[in-house]
Parts: sequence; structure tokens; C-alpha cells
Amino acid sequence: MSSEQSSLVRFLLIYLGSTFILFSLASWIFYVSSKHHLLDKQREILKYQSENVTSKLRMLHKNFDGTLVYPGSKTFNSAIYDLDKRYIFGTFKQIPVLEHTDHYSDEKRLYHVTKLEPYYLGAAYLLTAKEIDKSPITALQAKIIWFMLAAGVFFTTLGYFLGRLFTAPMRDSIEQMNYFIQDTTHELNTPISTILTNIELLETYGKYGKSEELQRIEIASKTLSRIYEDLTYLNLNHDYHRDVESVDITQLIEERMVYFSTMLQSRGITTRLEILPEKMLEIDPNDAVRLIDNLLSNAIKYNKAKGTLTVKLTEKSLRIIDTGIGIAQKDLNDISKRFKRVNKSEGGFGIGLDIVNQVVNSYGFVLHITSEMNKGTEVEVRWEK
Amino acid sequence: MGKIIFFFSLFCIVGHAQDVNKEDKQQLQKECLQCHIEQQIPSALIYRRYLMKYSTFERMEKAIFAYIKNPDKKHSIMPPQFFLKFPMKELSTLDEDALQKMIKSYLNTFDVKKKLVLPQ
Repeated sequence: MSSEQSSLVRFLLIYLGSTFILFSLASWIFYVSSKHHLLDKQREILKYQSENVTSKLRMLHKNFDGTLVYPGSKTFNSAIYDLDKRYIFGTFKQIPVLEHTDHYSDEKRLYHVTKLEPYYLGAAYLLTAKEIDKSPITALQAKIIWFMLAAGVFFTTLGYFLGRLFTAPMRDSIEQMNYFIQDTTHELNTPISTILTNIELLETYGKYGKSEELQRIEIASKTLSRIYEDLTYLNLNHDYHRDVESVDITQLIEERMVYFSTMLQSRGITTRLEILPEKMLEIDPNDAVRLIDNLLSNAIKYNKAKGTLTVKLTEKSLRIIDTGIGIAQKDLNDISKRFKRVNKSEGGFGIGLDIVNQVVNSYGFVLHITSEMNKGTEVEVRWEK
Repeated sequence: MGKIIFFFSLFCIVGHAQDVNKEDKQQLQKECLQCHIEQQIPSALIYRRYLMKYSTFERMEKAIFAYIKNPDKKHSIMPPQFFLKFPMKELSTLDEDALQKMIKSYLNTFDVKKKLVLPQ
């Protein structure tokens, strides 16, 4: 994931996370308040029904006929209790215990207690209860869920466009850098090729022999050529067609060591080669060159003058060990990111290990870097996971 | 065998209780209600007034007992106009235990709980 994408994702996560928390809190408060309001409405109805029963009890108290028909209803239950809160009569199947508050509820029912004075039929308390009508509460829950979903979609879209807006300067800078590299590499190709061809001609026809000046020109030209190759690879990476074949890595390492021999000699670096003979690897030859060149180049560039460069090739891995400046532990995780340069004392664009990383990931290899400050760095590429 | 003894005992207890109840009612009729009927005093109405003021059996029992022991217009549950039509109650000659028994019987006779029914 590019730094632009990761910035956008981080921004979206923080933005959407905080918006979600805020909306959830607001929705919860709204839900609790609305639910209270809906239950209060139902309580008001129950209270009105209680007043009706009270009125009927008053009339019943004045009735001296044989039987007294209790004013029950199909829509709610009621019961009367004496002054000591003992049950007198009612319509409940199970006699409920009278609570001390005016109204209360359980999961299914709302209860209302009316204090009566005088005590018609001996009733000091009238308890009325009805089933909670949950349909408006369910409708409210559905409304809130739909609102949250709609708000989620809206704020995600808004966040995405805002994020794109905020990361636009970064994106523009990267695009400009890429265009610049693309244009520069294109313009560099012809002069580098010309220089290298002419150096070879000079060496072949022996006009100037192996002079020190010519060696310096050769080193500089090869460095430029490698930078050109790397930049071209990075720019064309998405469209790059790989021709995977059996490559003799042993032979390739030896060839690349010859290629870098001028640079090694100029810095007085001693080389130690512990190479397994005829090690074959299924890889695109250009990728193999890029992998080895970048590792060797880094090991030479960041090595101490008159240091040692060790190359170990085994059946399972390639290890390149230098005795250079080393990398701090805190930088090891980010070292393979593009344009990351831990040490700026040497030139470069910080793309070497990015290319190594891309090649390693393309073939399912494993890159492992260990380093100690002022002692050296060991880069290991394991062929198999 | 155990079941037979249990049901026989239950039958005896219920039978005895019914006898006692019947006996109490007869005594109430004789000692109290007879006079009420002769003087056309509305016993049910008086009961309802006690019920409306005191609510519970125990409180009514206590209030009635206090009034019968000291019958006075000021302490009566009935309004002053009631005594324009009906005579003042004379002091009871019953002893306290008998009086308590009669009051309980009176309250049971007119108990509204027994009359209340659920609507069809």
C-alpha cells in the first residue's frame, strides 16, 4: 500500500470512527428519550383507564344488590388492595405484589398504582397493568438503524472525497517526481550508452590503456547506467513482462562481481566469495541481475574504505555481508520502502532495496536484514519460504 | 388407610366449622340484626360506611367495638341526620368476648369480597 493510500485509510478510519461514535451516542440518547416518551404515552392511557375503574368502584360501593360485578376490562388488568396492601379482588391470573411507586414496569407490562380515598369497597390502592405495545418501539429502532446506515454511507462518501482532497498535494508531488524520473531516465539513456560504448572501444583499441582516469569514468558511467535500469524498472514495473527460466546464479554472481570490480578496487574493498557451484534458480534473468546488483551496490556504497564484502551462496539462500556503517534497529522495518534513505552521506534515490523487495515478493522469496551500527549489515535472500 | 383418616378428619373439621359459623350467624341474628330489622336500621349501609372509612377488617373491628362500648353520636360513623330517623343505640349488655365474636360475624356477613364477581 502506497503512503498516499495508507494516509487516506488512516484519515478515513479516524474520521469514520469518531463520526460513528458521535452518531451512536446521539442515536442512543435519542432512542432512550423517544422510548421514554412512547412509554409515557402508554402510561397516560393506563392512568386514564385507572380513573375509569375508580369511578366505577365508587358506583359499585353504593350498589347493594346480591352480587357486585367488578369493573374489569379485556384491554388491561386491574386489582384492588386494602390499606395494608392485602389483595381484595382483581382480574389478574397471578396476583401481583403491590410496589411502593406510582408506576413501574417489567419486560412485558406497565403498572400503575392509584391511591384511593375514601376506600370504596375497602380499596385503598388500585393497581392497573397492561401489555407494553412494542410496535412503536420496534418502528423507532428500525428508523434509527436506517438513519445510521444512511449516515454511514453519506459520511463514508464525504470522508473519501475529503481524504482525496487532503492527500491531493502529496499525490501531486509523487506524480511530479515520477514524471521527472521518467523524463530524466529517458533523456539519460542515449548519453550513458554512448559513454560506455566509447570506453569499451578505448579499452579494446588500447589507445589509453587502463588509466586511472578512464577507470573513474567507467565507474561513474556504470553507476549511472544502473540507476537508469532501476528507474526504468520502477516506472515500468506494472507492465513488466517476466521471462522466467533457469538461471545459473553462481555464474551470474561471478559476472556481476567482475562488473563491480572497478568500484571495489577503487574503494580498496576485499571480497570473500563462498559460492555454491552451479546453483540454478527459476527467475527472470533481468530480475536476477537487478537483485544482485542492488545488493552488491549497497554493500559497496555503504561499506567502509578498505572493508570486506562477503558473498555466500548456498542451496537455500544468498547472503551479502558488509563491514559498513550499519542500520539502526528502528530503521530496519522501513528500510525497504521507496525513497527511504537512512544514511544520506552517500548519493542515491533510495530505491535500491525497494527494487530488491519487489523482486523478492514477485518470486515468493524472503528478505531478511540484520545490522549493527558501525559494524556492518547482512542481507539474506531465502529462495524458499 | 392414611388417606381415609385424612379425609375423615377434614370432613369433621369442615362440618364443625360450618356448624360454628351457622351458630354464630344465628347468635348475630338474635343479638344484633333482629333489632336492626325491627327498627329498619340499614345494616349493609352501616357496614359500607365503616368499609369506606377503615378499609381493613381489623380496623373496622376495632372501630365498631369502640363505638359499641361507648355509643355516642359524636363517635358514630353515621351522619347526625341519621339519628333524626333512627334511635341512638343502647349500651350493649354482651361481654367483650361475645361482642368481639358478634362483630366478626357481622363483618363476615356483609363482607364485599364474597359478593364481588368478574364480568362475564
